[in-house]
Amino acid sequence: MLLYTLRRILIMIPILFLVSIVVFSLAFAMPGDALSGQIDPTQSPEYIEEMREELGLNDPVHIQYGRWVAGIVQWDFGRSVVHRMDVSAIIGERLPNTILLSAMSLIITYILAFFMGRYAGRNPYTKGDYTIQGINYLMLAIPSFVAALFAIFIFSFQFGLFPSTGSVGSGMTPGTFEFWMSKLYHTFLPALVLGALVTASYTQFLRNDIIESAQKDYVRTARAKGTPESEIYNKHILRNSIIPIVTLFGFDIASIIGGAVIIETIFSYRGIGELLISSIERRDSAVVLSVTLMLSVATLVGNLLADLLYGIIDPRIRVE
Amino acid sequence: MEAAEEIQLEKKAKKQSPWSIARRKLVRNKLAMLSLGFLVLVITMAYMAPLLTGYDPQRVDIINRNQPPGEGFLLGTDASGRDIWTLLLYGARTSLTIGLVCTAAVIMIATVIGSIAGYYGGLVDAILMRFTDFMMNFPFLVFVIVLASIFREAGIWALIIVLSVLSWTGAARVVRSKVMAEKENEYVMAAISIGSTPFKVIRKHLLPNVMTTIIVQATLLLAVMIVAETALSFLGFGVPTGTPSWGNMMTEARDPNVIRSYWWIWIPPGLAITFTILSINFIGEGIKDAFNPRSAR
Repeated sequence: MLLYTLRRILIMIPILFLVSIVVFSLAFAMPGDALSGQIDPTQSPEYIEEMREELGLNDPVHIQYGRWVAGIVQWDFGRSVVHRMDVSAIIGERLPNTILLSAMSLIITYILAFFMGRYAGRNPYTKGDYTIQGINYLMLAIPSFVAALFAIFIFSFQFGLFPSTGSVGSGMTPGTFEFWMSKLYHTFLPALVLGALVTASYTQFLRNDIIESAQKDYVRTARAKGTPESEIYNKHILRNSIIPIVTLFGFDIASIIGGAVIIETIFSYRGIGELLISSIERRDSAVVLSVTLMLSVATLVGNLLADLLYGIIDPRIRVE
Repeated sequence: MEAAEEIQLEKKAKKQSPWSIARRKLVRNKLAMLSLGFLVLVITMAYMAPLLTGYDPQRVDIINRNQPPGEGFLLGTDASGRDIWTLLLYGARTSLTIGLVCTAAVIMIATVIGSIAGYYGGLVDAILMRFTDFMMNFPFLVFVIVLASIFREAGIWALIIVLSVLSWTGAARVVRSKVMAEKENEYVMAAISIGSTPFKVIRKHLLPNVMTTIIVQATLLLAVMIVAETALSFLGFGVPTGTPSWGNMMTEARDPNVIRSYWWIWIPPGLAITFTILSINFIGEGIKDAFNPRSAR
């Protein structure tokens, strides 16, 4: 397992290098730079040209790339011209919000999928099962931004249960108990939308696995011994069916990243995804570059994690 | 007499081709047929839009801004006074066309790369599949947004190219594994041994046998592409603002005030997208089921 893990991690190094080149060339190709976005009419073109020279925006591509990579290695992601802050500071401020949102949405996914999948798997081809399947089809079909709008319309405006925007209430002192409660309260609705949409595949997976396991020999043995039906399902089958679900976790990181960009933008939730969209709109290339690279690396790590988890669960994968 | 019987038998055997079995199974699948009917209706309405509405989708009418559904305007008007029903019809045209064109492009790229990698194997396969793996490592939506923002001025065609170039990987992998399995059959060896060129073997012998997989992939992709286009347009990185599309219609709902007070602006396109995707998914499931020899339906 150790050898397999090491090999998988070593393969990542050249991929990381290629990813960084692709991300950099994308940011390089973006029209205009941070200076053209906010040209102050009182400033002369000579001054702007001077600034460009000073920031190194007139250097050849490979020198700019080299400088960028050298900076990243030293944990220096450049400076945002719009926010007038170091990019690492902005990301440091936004990242905890996105992590909270993702963690909460994953917990919601697991809880919903566990109960729905368990019920549908125990009672296949009944009314309850068909209802759950119907919900699943709907959740697979509805795009995340449509679901988010409906959630805001129903839960925030019709019932007034949750706030429709923001990541924390105004006038809160960071660190206090109220601050954290307000944060959780603001995160719940976006997390519910994000989590509910991923639930469908989990539920389906668990349901099918339970139905399949129920036909296996060890279940028949357990029945023959007179084990109560509830114990068969809760102990013998569920424990075996939960394991393969673990592997989905790695792939979830990728789907959550895409979902978070949309959901955060709709809820004006101050996270990484909202930062990306607003930075693209304002042509804040240093931020776009860093966030895109960060999300790509996160996706890469997610895929790696999925592979490693597979390797733990199914030893045959490790042999290549 | 015997000859007639033989012809009869032959006819019966012909009826039992995998395609006819699948077609009969599909026709008996009520949900899939209902979905197909709905999709055909939506497509027909989209392309006959000028016959179904008297309004011009581009016309701005300041006096009739944000009118609720009712007199004069079947589904109300948006913030520029454009008729929602008209926008819905013309928007369907844009969104469905982009979805269909992207799907066709993606299937073409995926089929070419997948069948070449699967047929030749070895080094060619290794290079193409490493490239595919590499493309799969990127967060799809993030890259689509960044690329779309670069080519924003270039219009709809740039959007179609961006979407297609970033989404062929999954389908290519599926086609490759199918071609690899199919190529082990004797008839392929026979075709090669009588001197058929690789192109001919792939086109005449392998592709017809992986066609079912490609069709199922295409339905899945169509749904994904329509969602991608509407989500991008919603965020402001998709179809140019003046062109009606389902995603563009919902852009106004980025303002919480519109979500609350002017629900008739965003609910119709939202429902249209959801039901279209739902019906495409049901059709896809139906086709998959119809071609599955183990399913008894």
